Amino acid sequence: MRFRSPPMPSAEMDMTPMMDLTFQLISFFMMVTNFDQTQVDERVRLPTDALAKPPEVRVEHQLVVNIGYKRAKDGTRLDPQPFVFLSGEELRIPEYRSRLQQEARIYQAKEVSLNDVTIVVRADSDVPTGQVQEFIKMSQDTKFEKFTLRAQQPID
Amino acid sequence: MKIKQQEPASLQQQTTPMIDVTFQLLTFFMFTLRIVGPEGDFNINMPPPGAGAARAEILPDIKVRLLADANGNLASLKLGDRQLGIGPGAFQLLNAEILKLVGGANSARSTDIEIEIDADYNLHFDNVVKAIGACTGRLGPDGKTIIRYVEKIKFAPPKANPDA
Repeated sequence: MRFRSPPMPSAEMDMTPMMDLTFQLISFFMMVTNFDQTQVDERVRLPTDALAKPPEVRVEHQLVVNIGYKRAKDGTRLDPQPFVFLSGEELRIPEYRSRLQQEARIYQAKEVSLNDVTIVVRADSDVPTGQVQEFIKMSQDTKFEKFTLRAQQPID
Repeated sequence: MKIKQQEPASLQQQTTPMIDVTFQLLTFFMFTLRIVGPEGDFNINMPPPGAGAARAEILPDIKVRLLADANGNLASLKLGDRQLGIGPGAFQLLNAEILKLVGGANSARSTDIEIEIDADYNLHFDNVVKAIGACTGRLGPDGKTIIRYVEKIKFAPPKANPDA
């Protein structure tokens, strides 16, 4: 009599639960990722106020300007003067004038009126108010008119 | 002769490339995730110099003066000529006084009245934001809606840098 050997048990791992979990994780990260905040610089420590609410109507044209300090890991300032943080570049506030003019030319080339562009000032809590005002004055000289000051909501 | 039957080809789909891509996506989202608190904006009215001169004669602005000490901290908060002190209590007092001047929350005057923030050059910016918050209004009982006192807030002309 001939015996038939039983089939070998499959050595492949069942991947289905792992894939389920991975897709759930991807969904979670996709939901919580905010691509609007790409212009936000983490070095700026925003002032907090409970009344700082996100705008109800989305601003179509906005230019986010981050003004803050270079700091060590413990929070101490490495330079007493604030900088305007751009992606991979740091400029003193007066040096930013040429960039503002460049931005103005770009908006004009796109036929966007500078009256419709809002400059969002993300200034560090410790920046002297006079420097923020100087920046606003510089922007006014470049014909920008709308400004908002950004603050963070306190975390309970 | 006995012909050995061939084993049927496996119908299982190859999942390895899909798993690879999925893990790459997961890694991308994990690295790009930035956990930051919600941010909000305060609108400030900054017309070009000279544009607000005619209006000021009709309706005088409410002036909020913030004085700084040598370190840039708040030394004194004044509403007009009235001293409101320093610290969180001063901003609460400012909020209450603005409400009195406006004549109630969401009143008709709230759209006409303009507040001018006049801060010392060296004053830390967070004090100005607190003053703007105190002038803007307060949170409603639900803790979400804003009861507005004043819509228009502007800065006084910038002061000269004392260290320059």
